[in-house]
Amino acid sequence: MFSYFIRRLFFVIFVAWGVTFATFFIANVVPIDPAIAALGDNAREEQIQEFRERYGLDKPIWQQYLIYMGRLASGDLGNSLRTQRAVAEDLREFFPATLELSVAAFLVTLLLGVPAGILAALRQNKASDVTVRVLALMGGATPVFFLAVLLQYVFARQLDLLPVQGRLDGFTFPPPRVTGLVGVDALLARDWAAFVDSLLHLMLPAFVLGLFSAAILARMTRATMLEVLSQDYIRTARAKGVAGRAVIFRHALKNASLPILTLLGGLLGGLLSGAVLTETIFSWPGIGRYVTQSATSLDFPAVMGVTLLVGLVYALINLITDLLYAFLDPRIRYS
Amino acid sequence: MKLIKAVGLIAVLGLGSALAQDRTQTLIYGGDWSDLITMDPQVSYEFSGGLVTDNLYETLVKYEGADLSTLRPGLAESWKVDRGRDSWEITFRLRRGSKFSSGNEVTARDGVYTCERALAIKGPGSFLFTEIAQLKPGATKALDNYTVMVSIPKTASPGSFLSILTFNIGGIVDSETVQRNARGNDFGKEWLTNNSAGSGPFRLVRWDRGSQVLLEASPNARLKPKLQRVILREIKEPAVLRTALESGEIDIAEGLTPEALRALANNPRFKTLRADSLRLNYLGMSVKEGSPFANNLVRDAVRYSINQDELVSGLVQGNGTKIQTIIPKGLLGYDARTPYNFDPARARRLLAQAGLPNGLEFELLVSTGICGGGIPCADIAAKIQSDLAKGGFKANVKAIANAEVLRTYRAQNHQMVLVGWSPDFPDPDGNATPLANYAARSLAWRNVWNDATSAKLANQASLETDPAKRTALYRLLTDYVLKNGPYAILYQPAVPLGLSAKVEGYVRNAQSQVRFENISKLP
Repeated sequence: MFSYFIRRLFFVIFVAWGVTFATFFIANVVPIDPAIAALGDNAREEQIQEFRERYGLDKPIWQQYLIYMGRLASGDLGNSLRTQRAVAEDLREFFPATLELSVAAFLVTLLLGVPAGILAALRQNKASDVTVRVLALMGGATPVFFLAVLLQYVFARQLDLLPVQGRLDGFTFPPPRVTGLVGVDALLARDWAAFVDSLLHLMLPAFVLGLFSAAILARMTRATMLEVLSQDYIRTARAKGVAGRAVIFRHALKNASLPILTLLGGLLGGLLSGAVLTETIFSWPGIGRYVTQSATSLDFPAVMGVTLLVGLVYALINLITDLLYAFLDPRIRYS
Repeated sequence: MKLIKAVGLIAVLGLGSALAQDRTQTLIYGGDWSDLITMDPQVSYEFSGGLVTDNLYETLVKYEGADLSTLRPGLAESWKVDRGRDSWEITFRLRRGSKFSSGNEVTARDGVYTCERALAIKGPGSFLFTEIAQLKPGATKALDNYTVMVSIPKTASPGSFLSILTFNIGGIVDSETVQRNARGNDFGKEWLTNNSAGSGPFRLVRWDRGSQVLLEASPNARLKPKLQRVILREIKEPAVLRTALESGEIDIAEGLTPEALRALANNPRFKTLRADSLRLNYLGMSVKEGSPFANNLVRDAVRYSINQDELVSGLVQGNGTKIQTIIPKGLLGYDARTPYNFDPARARRLLAQAGLPNGLEFELLVSTGICGGGIPCADIAAKIQSDLAKGGFKANVKAIANAEVLRTYRAQNHQMVLVGWSPDFPDPDGNATPLANYAARSLAWRNVWNDATSAKLANQASLETDPAKRTALYRLLTDYVLKNGPYAILYQPAVPLGLSAKVEGYVRNAQSQVRFENISKLP
């Protein structure tokens, strides 16, 4: 198991290298000058030249790549052309917001998706099954921007129950930054008002972001549960007089959990890579919004940094998912 | 604010009165502040950076309200311009007793330090000092504790220099505090990115990038603000801006759509405003040898082909005003005349006179982004294309990324381009030299318009110190460029804003400066 783990970690390095290679050369295919994009119309020729020299944009592409990789080896992601500071610093600033939102959205996904899928499977073709399937279809088909604006209109503008945007109300003084997760920072500072406020601000974006994943998860859970529920061992368990709840959770759900786990890993990876639309609509300062702004400004170091981070997050989640397989299914052993 | 929150907080924490009190003392200003990259006045060259730093730092001279033509005393209570043998000598007499937020007194030493700092750091706006004002290291001196003298060469314009000083690059920093936090020879650049050390009415408390900037009234400021806190909330999406304003989460929304502005105008809870900008949206025509636009008759035909009234009232929907001359409204030398009326028949006659009786086909380059006034550039290009067709032109619109439009324009590789221009500093020379003087390697150069008359007039006007004579020179220049230049000015965009009816004293000048100390909120 340990050697497998080490091998997989080694593999992650190759994934990271592949990501940097592909992103770097794709980024450099774009026939636009990042210096002009960053400095704008009024910039003078000397300023543009100085900018190119400062960021090494005047060098051949292969040389730029070698310099980038050299720096990367020592943990330096370079400087952002747009924010003009270290990309690593930017990621430290923006990733916690994405992490906070992703975890909340993931909870929404789990709490809605799994029970709904189980319910639908247990009551196949009954009213509740049809309702879950229709809702899942709608949840998966409704564009995020539409749902977000609709919920903002209803819950913020009409009912005045929840905030429209941001991580904290403007009238709430933000807690000292420790982790970058506002809720956690508020708890650390014992600032209950800020904590409650941060939870309120998290509700709409987490729901909007989590609903799409919940819809997919509900359908997958339903399908897998239906398959498992028709297996002989379930019939046997029931024939032996095992209680209904135990059959569902201990026998059926556990056996249905492998495909669900695979899906969950992918969904979490997707959430952690930054939800551009949700972050933009809810003015959530995460890496999704950061990378969009960076891409439109042709800020390649920033785009590379985010891509690398997302690549690593995916690789790590896949690794954890694989390790959890062994935990859930005793037949799986890694060597 | 919100029901749940109000109930929860008031019941559990008993903060009701504190929050209610805080609300009238806190202004929340929403808008797209994503260009904010530093709080250092000598480095910041972005609109949002200027908006914040103008309230953290005071300048020696400043403009007040929306008036950008009359300089007013800032940290300097008086100033004078003397004609030396080889240079202009500009002497500023500082007010006594002005204090930085640290409590240190503002002295001439801080003025000298600020100028030297700007030259040493070489930020993106430093060319204003080094090229426009031709300021050299060592040319700023403290004559005594409260007198600063700056010498600039005779070839530079003292008028331009003084208006540059109203910009955030001229924001006087607390030399003692900055040097205490400096690293090596960085003049405190790293520290000032996230901190403030000014004598302005506010001090920077916190900046959460991509989210908000929190300013608090400076206890030692000379200019006492009416509010205790100002928060700039970053909201990029116009629809969210509107909802946030309507639900009371923000007090001011900058960058609303024309539709949102109309809806808010009918609601007594809100006020709407179309703030001026100094931007001009225009068509640039390359007059290089062999280009059909080299003939001024063809350029005149373009100018007569454009239905500006329809463009401004229909497409721009009031988020801009009609203008044809090169100095925008709000600056000295603005000329309101609009002699080119929509006359497609005349345009066709002009084309025939130019030897193009069958019309002219060419490429019109345009950005895929948004143009001034919040209108997609491609929509404006479509309108121009349709107008030009009536005048006998066939414009093939090519929409590409803005950076690519600029790259082509800078390389003099366009035929016609639809772009915008904002002056670097609030002085007519900020437009006159780039648009009229080929040697400045700016817009006249990009359009290959090398005209000795316009260059001479621009130069003369920039060096003139008498306002009346200067105005007269700019009148001559704008008229000349209007009729002979390689431009067809389309409109001067406005910035659409929505405000809570409780907000009072908000003024945004065309240079995007807002003095937060003058704003108050009704309970």
